[in-house]
Parts: sequence; structure tokens; C-alpha cells
Amino acid sequence: MSNLKVSRREALGSVAGLIAGPGLSGVEGPGLSAVEGPGLSGVEGPGLSAVEGPSLARGQVAKGTPPPRRPPRDELVNALEFEDVAKLMLPAAVYSTIAGSDRAAFDRITFRPRMLVPTLDLDLSVDLFGEKHLAPILVGPVAEQRQYHAEGELATVRGASAAKTGVIVSSRSSVPIAEIAAQAKTPLWYSVYAADASARKQVDQAIAAGCKVVCVTVGASLDAGRATSKVPADWKAVDRIRQGLDLPIVIKGVMTPEDANAAIAQGARGIVVSNHGGVVAGRAPLEVLASIVDLVGAKITVLVDGSFRRGTDILKALVFGAQAVLLARPVMWGLAAYGAEGVQSVIELLQTTLGRNFGMIGAPNLKSLNRAMVKVHAERKT
Amino acid sequence: MGTIDNRWRHGPTRRQALLALAGMLAGSPLLRAQRDPHPITGHKRVPGLDEMMTAFDFEPICFANVVLARYEYMARASESEFTLRRNREAFEWVDLVERPGAATAALQTSTEVLGIKMDFPIMIAPTAAQRDLHPDAESAMYQGASAAKTPMIVVGRSTIPIEKIAQAATGPRWSQFYPVQDLKISRETIETFQAAGARALVVTVDQQTDTGYERDLHNRNLGGTPRGASGGRGGGAPEQGRGGRGGGSAAPAPMQGPALYRVIPARLWYTWKYLDDIRAFTKIPILLKGILTAEDAKLCVERGFDGVIVSNHGGRSMDYGPSTLEVLPEIVDAVGGKIPVLIDGGFRRGSDIVKAMALGASAVCLGRAPRWGLGAFGPQGVQRLLEILQAEFLEAMARTGRTTLAALDRRAVRVNFT
Ligand SMILES: Cc1cc2nc3c(=O)[nH]c(=O)nc-3n(C[C@H](O)[C@H](O)[C@H](O)COP(=O)(O)O)c2cc1C
Repeated sequence: MSNLKVSRREALGSVAGLIAGPGLSGVEGPGLSAVEGPGLSGVEGPGLSAVEGPSLARGQVAKGTPPPRRPPRDELVNALEFEDVAKLMLPAAVYSTIAGSDRAAFDRITFRPRMLVPTLDLDLSVDLFGEKHLAPILVGPVAEQRQYHAEGELATVRGASAAKTGVIVSSRSSVPIAEIAAQAKTPLWYSVYAADASARKQVDQAIAAGCKVVCVTVGASLDAGRATSKVPADWKAVDRIRQGLDLPIVIKGVMTPEDANAAIAQGARGIVVSNHGGVVAGRAPLEVLASIVDLVGAKITVLVDGSFRRGTDILKALVFGAQAVLLARPVMWGLAAYGAEGVQSVIELLQTTLGRNFGMIGAPNLKSLNRAMVKVHAERKT
Repeated sequence: MGTIDNRWRHGPTRRQALLALAGMLAGSPLLRAQRDPHPITGHKRVPGLDEMMTAFDFEPICFANVVLARYEYMARASESEFTLRRNREAFEWVDLVERPGAATAALQTSTEVLGIKMDFPIMIAPTAAQRDLHPDAESAMYQGASAAKTPMIVVGRSTIPIEKIAQAATGPRWSQFYPVQDLKISRETIETFQAAGARALVVTVDQQTDTGYERDLHNRNLGGTPRGASGGRGGGAPEQGRGGRGGGSAAPAPMQGPALYRVIPARLWYTWKYLDDIRAFTKIPILLKGILTAEDAKLCVERGFDGVIVSNHGGRSMDYGPSTLEVLPEIVDAVGGKIPVLIDGGFRRGSDIVKAMALGASAVCLGRAPRWGLGAFGPQGVQRLLEILQAEFLEAMARTGRTTLAALDRRAVRVNFT
């Protein structure tokens, strides 16, 4: 379909083209395409094919195609669809900083849902460092958010507050931390790069602004405030930042049991299993999560991030023992697409689908999850 | 379609002549501007019933006959539709082991499940909203199924009253039932099914809350109705088809539990205890539909239920749940032959059914496939589609060299689940 909001006649017209061409049922019927089942488009979910295609700079219209339409916010039904709208709204170079997802690890895990377990008392809340969160979701740190929306971090915390969700503010924010904190109604954490020379000074400002937890990102080399490649964790730098702090410290960027142990040795109260949004090739955070939880989960709080896009994704991490999941790119898609309201929508969609899937798997709360509820499949060789 | 020419040949009425003139005018540049900018072009000829070769052939015709939003409601599934796709993929992970020595004519394919004799281990799964497909809805499905000697599970919230459906044909029939919390209403409903001649009760235990059919949610904008969309953002209500007899809770919930997360409480109250309660007044065998783990299958046996249907609701319950075929062996093993194990989910070919039988199923239920038959050609379509699957079943079974269903064991397949 060429547009989300098509008339029935248009829809029938374009779908009729599909019948004449590739057909509906997929691989098997004679003369049918490689698209299985009802997947008319072959795209996961209904998709917003409208806004795909050549990426357009703001205000620019490709020759011969009708101008793309930005759908009203409540037409979008999953977080991934916000990416399409963000792409529409942003110059290509800016969009590229928040583009894409790595879904492979999620697709190798299926659930083993249990029936007839009452979940009417559904409660997704979690305690993190003495603070109660409505759901095990935090907005992850992202630098320079004004490039995605004129209000930048201010819109992000307003949207997150409306969705009753905490935010980890990046030390590379485009708005001063004190101004951001003034808008926040939910807990703020503050994130610095261990590699950053001014990290400790920034932390002191953040504490003054009321941030509750300090998140130190290790193992990333920086370029313009963004992680570009993996380097060994600099524990000396962590130690310098830590001196004299009485706030909980969370080490972000842990991908191995050795680093998890080192984080504990540094006095960290938590870790974020993360590969900096896929900057580092290799195993996905979700794939190393279970072994790290087994090692340190009893001693410290284990969080995780990396391509979480659906409620079922978050549920998988929780089943492996993560206490919460960080969302970064999807929230930026919401921000770029619709400002604070987009941030709120993305977070609420994920809360809702997460809650729904707690019902489907037969667990009323985080404590009732156990690893028998998932099956991890070996990679299929084709 | 050459209709104008044909009309002239039979002698035009005044109206037809005007229509023909209008058709000619439509070619003029003046009127072109008024024309549909997206005409349906290309494929002009609709194939007939006698041209149907596989179940898949019925789908595009059903699609063309049915209101788009209602077609999508049938075809789609939960969230990313991972499980919908996986149901079909799983058949590619199981190969038949070919062995000579069985002629199709010599095959014994009949079986008996909970007292129902059937020529093939094939049944019709319960599906809602059959009115979308044919004006005679469940009655037409029942006629088609009975004509192909296929037992049917009539959906609980049928669009035609069960008493009327019961009169439409004579084949064996079970009734499906969605639990409702009120035991008195549960009892009345179940007694109605029994009185109408249901020979077993299929209690659906999955799809505990909103289903989140994302295409349905999009179809708000195509004139479709979001089924109980929560705040315009959450998702659709659980499956009710149209004109459901209640079931979901309508009272505005206080801000706690599911409401905090905009989750519809719907059927989150389900318990094993409720099932024990309804069993006390149910006189026919009870099967639980929606079982996906060995653990739950064992509970079914321990608690004295009469059968399980391994089902993920055709991908419409939990997204990223397993395909049914890949969990069938663990459930068959857990049940240990004590009660029948039926299965549904993505069955479209005779060979699919042979694979499930080899992995230990007692019979296979078809959800969408007979709906395609009904939407494409009415009861005759249902009958023809079932006969095609029966013929394919014979062929595939013959390839395994097994002449009886009992001989169709796990050695008849090579399994490559991961
Ligand atoms: C349109 C539609 C409506 C359905 N309605 C119901 C229902 O009301 N009750 C139920 O137990 N299952 C329902 N199902 C699930 C089917 O009984 C069955 O589990 C599923 O369709 C099997 O997968 P298949 O469609 O791939 O054959 C429905 C399925 C579809 C496609």
C-alpha cells in the first residue's frame, strides 16, 4: 500500500495488483512469491511502507512520487513504525545515528507460555536502588538530542515522565542537566563516559541537579560523543570518577563475566549488559545476559540494552534475570517523529505489550518468571 | 470481462444500453479525470471451483470476495506475527522418510477420537465471525464439512444460533467454549451446546488478553473497527468475532493491575479451579485448546480432562510462542497416550497432516484453510478443499510406505527442530 491512510478503493486497487502478481499465500501455491502466509508485504508486522523508500531531506520531495504523509501519532501500532516516521522527519545523516536494529538474537528465542495462571493482579513494577519503577523500562542515554527534535532532552523527559518512566541523561546532552531535571517527574540517572576527562565534574553537576544514580560507560572509544569502537574497559578512570561518591554506580558496556566481576570489584551496584547499540560486532547483549546474571545477578543489579523493540523482547531479558531494559533508539524515533508525545507513545506501547505478554505467558509479576518459560534455539544453517 | 458484448447478444434492455454508452464515454478524456485512479487491472478471470488444485488456490478468491478489513482479521495474527510464520516454517523442518510399498488404495486412514469415527484424522477448528465469509456462516461450513465427512468444532460465539446450525447438516460436531467467570452463565451456555448435540466441549484456554493484531489496528483507518482498542494505542480486545455474547469485562477498572499498563483484563482471571468447576456439570468430554508445554499437558491428564489441542490460536495468542509442530513431540510424550492429543496451526497440505500424525497427533484441526473454501465458494468450497487435503493425505502417507495410522510413527519423519 502506498500510504497508510488509503481509501478502501485504493487499498483494493493496490492489493489487487498483488494478487495478479505475487499472490497471497506464499511459497507454496503455484506461481506464488516467497512471501509466506498473509504477509502481503513480507515486512514484519503491517509496516509503514509509506514512509520507506529513498530518504528525503526535510522539505525535499522526490520526483514523481507523492509527498510522504506523516501519519497521526495514534495510527502507529508498534515502536518500529516510529522509525519510519523519524526517517521521514530527519536529514539522512542525523537519521543514520539512530537507524536500525539487530533482531537476530530475539528471533532465536521462543516462549513456553503457561495457561490458566491468573494474572489479574498484574504488576510489572521493579525496585532499582531504592526507587520504585512502574515497569522495568528506562530511557537509555543518548547524546545531543536537539538534533532529533527542537526541544531535545526536555521533550524526552517530559514524554518519559508522562509515561512514568525514568531517564538516563547523557553527559553530552544538548540541554544543561539542571534544565532537564527541572522538567522531570520521574527519577533521572546520569551517564558519563569513563573515557571523558571532565566526567567527574559533570557528575557533580548532575548530583546537584538531583540525579539519583551514576552510570559510567566503559569500553567505548568516542567520536563526537558517540561510541565508535570497542576498547578495553579503563577501570582506573572509573575509579577516579567514583572517588567520594555516595550514589549508586552502574557500569554500562559489560559484555563478559570478567568485566562483570571487575565492575563489582570497583564497587559498582549494577551493570548494563550492552555493546553500545551494536557498535561492536559479535554476540548480542541478550545472548550473554544469562551467563552474566548467573555469575553476578545475586550481588548486583543487572540491566541490559541493545535493539529492544517489542514487549516480547523485554520479557525475554527479564526471563533471563535482567531487572530492567534500557530503550534508546526507539525513544529517539518517538522524539523525532512527534516530540514529547512520541516519546510517551513509544514507552507506553512497550509497557502495554510487555504487560499483555506477561498475561500470555502466565506470570503476574517479575518474580514469577523463570527460565523454563523460554527456549533458546541454535542458529539454523541454511 | 466482456460483459458489454454479452449483454448486446442477449438483446439489450434500455438500462443495459445506457450502461454500455456510459462505458464508451468513460474512455473519453473528459471523463477520464473522474475515473478511479487505481483501477483493478491485470488479473481479470476468476478461476472456478473445478480448477482448485491445492488449499492455497482458494485464498486469493476468498480474499477477493471478502471485505478487506475482515480478510485481514482472518489472515493476521499477534504483533510481529513471528509465530504465525513459524507455524508454516516448522513443516519445512520435518521431512517425510520415503519408503515404497503402500498403494493409496490400500491405506487405512480412519480413526476414532473420543467416540467420533472419522475417515481421516482431520477436523474443522473453531473460528469466529464466519459471517464475514458467507451469509450462511457456520451452517454453510457445517454443510461443507459434513459433505466431506469431516467433524466440525463449532465456535462458541457463532454468528448463527447453535440450534440453527445443528439443523444444517448431520456430521459429528463438537462445540468450542470461551470461559466466562460467571458459573451460572457458563453452565447455561454449555447446556445449550449439549442440548444441540455437541459431542465434546473444547475449552479455549489461551489468548488471555488483547491480541494486538497490528494490521487490525491499522485498519481503523480503512473502515475496520478496532476491537476494544485501549486508549487508541494499546491493542485489540481478545477474539470475539462480531456480535459476541459478552465475556470480556466491561466495567471501568480502577488504576491498578492491568489497567496501569493499559492491558485489557479480559481473561486474565483463568484458573484450573474454574475448569474443575465447569467439569462438574458438563456431561460431554472436555478438551483444553491452547496447550503448548509438556507441563500443562501433564496437568490436563492429572486433572482428568479428556483431551488436549496443541494450539497457538493460529499465531493469534502469544507472539514469539513456538510453532505447534515443534512442541507436539514433548506434549505427546508427556501425555503418554492417556488422552488424545490434537493439534492445529498452519496446516494447509496433506503432507503437513501426515507429519503431525507421525509425531504422535491423534488428529489435526484446520482453521483458516476451510475458511478460504467457505469464502471462495461457500459450502461446496469447504467440501472441495477438504477433499483435496484428503487426497493429498493419502498420497503423502503412501510415500511413507505406511498403510495404517498406527504404523505412521516417528520413524516416518526426519526432524530438524533446533
Ligand atoms: C479468524 C479466526 C477466528 C478464530 N476464532 C477462534 C475462536 O473464536 N475460538 C477459538 O478457540 N479459536 C479461534 N481461532 C483459532 C482456531 O481455532 C485455530 O486454533 C487456528 O486457526 C489454527 O490455525 P490455522 O488457521 O493456521 O489453521 C480463530 C482463528 C481464526 C483464523
